[in-house]
Amino acid sequence: MPHDLLSPSRRTFLGGLLGASLAAGLTSCAGNSRSTEIAFHQSKPEVIPYFRELIAEFNQATPGVRAVHDSSSGLSAGFARGNPPDLGCLNYNYEIVRFHERGAFSDLADLAPEARIDPSIQALVDQYPTYPGRTSVIPYSMMAAAVLFNEEIFAEHDLEIPETYSEFIEVCEVLQDAGVPPIYSTYADPWTVAQGLVDYSVGGAIDVAEFLTRLRELGPEAGPDASVSFSQVLREPLEKMLEIAAYSQPGAASRGYGDGNVAFARGEAAMYLQGPWALTEIATINPDAPVGIFPLPMTEDPEDLQVRVNLDLALWIPEASPHQPQARELLRFLIAPEVADTYNEDNLAFGVREDAPEVTDPRLQYLQTYVDRAAFYQGISQAIPRTIPFENYAQGIVTGQSLEQTLRTLDEDWARLARR
Amino acid sequence: MTTSTIKTSTDATASPPQAPAEPPPRRQRTRRVERVYLWFLLPVLVLFTLAITTPALMGIFYSFTDSVGFGEFEFVGLNNYLVMFSDPAILSAYGFTIGVALSTVILVNVVALALAIGLTSRIRAKTALRTIFVLPMVVSGIIIAFVFQFIFANTVPAAAQALQVGVLEESILANPNLAWISIVLVTTWQAVPQAMLIYIAGLMTVPRDVYEASAIDGASPLKQLRSITLPLISGFILINVIIGFKDFLSTYEIIVGLTDGGPGTATRSVAMTIFSGFEDGDYAYQMANSTIFFLITLTIALIQLRITRGNARI
Repeated sequence: MPHDLLSPSRRTFLGGLLGASLAAGLTSCAGNSRSTEIAFHQSKPEVIPYFRELIAEFNQATPGVRAVHDSSSGLSAGFARGNPPDLGCLNYNYEIVRFHERGAFSDLADLAPEARIDPSIQALVDQYPTYPGRTSVIPYSMMAAAVLFNEEIFAEHDLEIPETYSEFIEVCEVLQDAGVPPIYSTYADPWTVAQGLVDYSVGGAIDVAEFLTRLRELGPEAGPDASVSFSQVLREPLEKMLEIAAYSQPGAASRGYGDGNVAFARGEAAMYLQGPWALTEIATINPDAPVGIFPLPMTEDPEDLQVRVNLDLALWIPEASPHQPQARELLRFLIAPEVADTYNEDNLAFGVREDAPEVTDPRLQYLQTYVDRAAFYQGISQAIPRTIPFENYAQGIVTGQSLEQTLRTLDEDWARLARR
Repeated sequence: MTTSTIKTSTDATASPPQAPAEPPPRRQRTRRVERVYLWFLLPVLVLFTLAITTPALMGIFYSFTDSVGFGEFEFVGLNNYLVMFSDPAILSAYGFTIGVALSTVILVNVVALALAIGLTSRIRAKTALRTIFVLPMVVSGIIIAFVFQFIFANTVPAAAQALQVGVLEESILANPNLAWISIVLVTTWQAVPQAMLIYIAGLMTVPRDVYEASAIDGASPLKQLRSITLPLISGFILINVIIGFKDFLSTYEIIVGLTDGGPGTATRSVAMTIFSGFEDGDYAYQMANSTIFFLITLTIALIQLRITRGNARI
């Protein structure tokens, strides 16, 4: 499962605390006088074994440094104790942003020439609050998400990939008339609503980054009646989203992510609004599932088409780390083209270097042109501090709660957060 | 009891003429015994202080700051508390949590008492049945929640479809007005055994002859229940209600497994809002929330302590 989607900290928090204290106890005992031990934090579940091998390789090639792979400690607890990992390699989301914006990460500007990050991808970091004057976060891997569709079902009904909103609705109508559920939705898992329906609808219709910048500028003045607000800006895209959501299979309200993967893999619906992480699951269930991907059209202009991206992995070194040079050494090992490119190819991700090779997976090739043109946005759901239960709000909207009321609550929550 | 055993042991060793010299060594011995008990207490005391008291005090301290859990912070006085009392998300979480705790407490006690009365009466296979009814107690809450999540999301709607029961065809987990019922039911399923055990213990304290006497006077079983059983175990009912209410206020894992606070925010409990503070830098604010929550449970605990003490005296 995708690690940015799960709010992993809730369930792993206590375990993490325990693990962290155990780990801290162990490392202090295991002092090898020759080599410096550094903690490498990487917890995306699907790639833990991959990085374990990579770290072993690094340790062999680098005398004097011993990296320890930590995939379970609580990050917050580490920072709170002043004992964060030496190098972090995690999804870049709001949980990390709060450390970044408070200057908890050291400046890596001198490594930038070596990393050669594509400027449009580095810009994704700056769409969230940053710490002025520093390059604290180096992107490592980017994932692109859009509408997954069943190529066979589309071919059976002579359907083309829709490029405008009305074409999309037309596709849904044709499928519905033919008795095929157009979209498989999984409302029981709130994150799937937020990252699929909501993010695609909003990202396809408005400039998410610009909206958020204007909203943040308002500070405590924000609110439902302010000059920029969720109520005004998101209302239209989300009304369209509800029109789209109406084409979901019956009983969507009690279906979860796992149900969705199984049903889509078996061809029970024509489309599925999920990210590339679901591709692996779908392939496990049905290796021959004919899956294609296209961006959700939200306007009448094909030029507006964009895909949703997220920095699936990004690297940073905490200021509090006493082993800056060693942590940088490991960072440079990881960003070496042969290491980074292999990782991205193996994990259905896009490279972040200016000269990164194109994706080879046939399903992802649908999205390559959008990534090349930087026709992408970061989902709105990822830019809202988690203390506001945005995913739950998203679930509420699609299961019948008032859109207007929910947006109002969201505006008030946002303002309340800005005031304290 | 300790003193008496010590006394008999000294009596046994000391010969009668030396009896007047007895008090001083006895006091000494008593003191030594007490010190051993202190050593018994020490590890727990240290652990409790380190793991509970200190973090709790730190949490209360941070509730007056704008801390995000790390780094610098400033004192903001009562600001967190003031904002909190006007935060609909927190207020509705309190409303929901208290409502669920009250409904659960009633349901648990009715079911547990009925089972306890059944299991203390003259029926076959009493021990086997008691064991079966206690089983839910040993299964972890999150597992129970996931199992019931499957039942509510798949089994119940499928059965309702087959039996043409329209209302249940959509999972109640997906209905913002009904989802709370699933939480009450599952929490009850898990909590009944403990309450039942307390009731069984309570029913055993009621002397047989009272029932016999009332039977001779012609009291029906229902009358016996109302006029004898219930008054005589009223202390146990109170304990069960208060302990239960306090426990159900902090329901967390069952909600996470069943609805994760949804649909929408219909089933977000106080514990869940508090936890959100750790996830995203709302640390100080949610510390204020947990301080208030702590005061509420503390009050209930004090009431419970008072009642149980009063009971012990009777």
